[in-house]
Amino acid sequence: MASADKLINTDVPEKDVFALHFLQSLSNLRTQSPLNSPNKSIDRVRKIKKAAYVSMARAAGGTSRLWSRALLRRAAKDDNKSVRFSRRKRKVTWKISSKRKRSNQRAPVVEEAAERLRNLVPGGGGMETSKLMEETAHYIKCLSMQVKVMQCLVDGLSQK
Amino acid sequence: MNSSSLLTPSSSSSPHLQSPATFDHDDFLHQIFSSTPWPSSVLDDAPPPTSDCAAVTGFHHHDADSRNQITMIPLSHNHHNDALFNGFSTGSLPFHLPQGSGGQTQSQATASTTTGGTTVQTQTKPKVRARRGQATDPHSIAERLRRERIAERMKSLQELVPNGNKTDKASMLDEIIDYVKFLQLQVKVLSMSRLGGAASVSSQISEDAGGSHENTSSSGEAKMTEHQVAKLMEEDMGSAMQYLQGKGLCLMPISLATTISTATCPSRNPFVKDTGVPLSPNLSTTTVANGNGSSLVTVKDAPSVSKP
Repeated sequence: MASADKLINTDVPEKDVFALHFLQSLSNLRTQSPLNSPNKSIDRVRKIKKAAYVSMARAAGGTSRLWSRALLRRAAKDDNKSVRFSRRKRKVTWKISSKRKRSNQRAPVVEEAAERLRNLVPGGGGMETSKLMEETAHYIKCLSMQVKVMQCLVDGLSQK
Repeated sequence: MNSSSLLTPSSSSSPHLQSPATFDHDDFLHQIFSSTPWPSSVLDDAPPPTSDCAAVTGFHHHDADSRNQITMIPLSHNHHNDALFNGFSTGSLPFHLPQGSGGQTQSQATASTTTGGTTVQTQTKPKVRARRGQATDPHSIAERLRRERIAERMKSLQELVPNGNKTDKASMLDEIIDYVKFLQLQVKVLSMSRLGGAASVSSQISEDAGGSHENTSSSGEAKMTEHQVAKLMEEDMGSAMQYLQGKGLCLMPISLATTISTATCPSRNPFVKDTGVPLSPNLSTTTVANGNGSSLVTVKDAPSVSKP
């Protein structure tokens, strides 16, 4: 199995990268609405949450990962911005063509779980199950890294 | 038993075939190899006849040198070898084993053509007979490979997810899904807590506190604490936290609280005054459930709040 893992790369950058991106995004937020304490402060929460996700996506590898790409695209759509994706030569992975609709042969248990995962993981809609699981692994790693960063941040700020 | 593996481990995903069983059909093999040419898809290089003999001799010497060409197909009834065997049993080879195991081998075709395929390094022609009556076409091969890949990835996911010791595939998948949901919830809550500012949280509190929920404890003291905390949070989150800490309370999302309480003391009222749950007081507040599922609860803490 060892050689098979070479194909699957779920490396995630160090915490510092995530922290850097997140702090940058936070400072950007701050400059955007400096003394603004909007009534509907839920917006602020949302903005921060979105900043968290976007910074995570950028830190995780920008547009080289499917989920990060989808996340960035989604965020850009909200802001009516456009994201530039580098047209890289697609690494050819042997993917069982999904055109072959032999759904009865694909384990239904796995497939329904994959469906649920697709709703959770950004960009999961267009992925085969095996690719989806790869993305999920990377996504989980990045999420946990981001959570650690935010936790440290909050911890640091809570000290008086 | 011949222990030298005659198959080059060229592929990664296929398990190594067992070394062939005792081979006692020397003459028979000679016969075979000399009679019909190998199908060209089976061999990597070299014209079949020469390689056959070479392979035969190689085998005879129990040579462990790895030959890329197809090596022996001992026509024993060892089903491990059927993978290779099937690559050749395209009907052109007269596999009539003298011992009557020929019929057995012919009917005993394997479905594990993937292993055969990988040794050959190309897709074998789909003329193999499958075990158990499965369809013998590239679809099933591909299907099998696909399942292998999925299982592989699930294994790596299993290591990531805590509590990933479930052997059942379904429960493992559920676990994974729940973990992703949990992480996303954590991000949301963390972005709410202090970075989001106290005002946001307190506004949520005031919105939802109107709802008559059973969560609010019966004792007035708790209510007073809540109001106090809410008031404090509007001004300064830090002081609110300090206030709570002074009282030996900590804050956590309700979902977490219910989980912990049901895990530790199922009989207790899960919402208020659970003891012995040390947590870091980072997550914000209140006792009221709200619509978006990220409701929070105050939990009484052990005297010393231990940070993780």
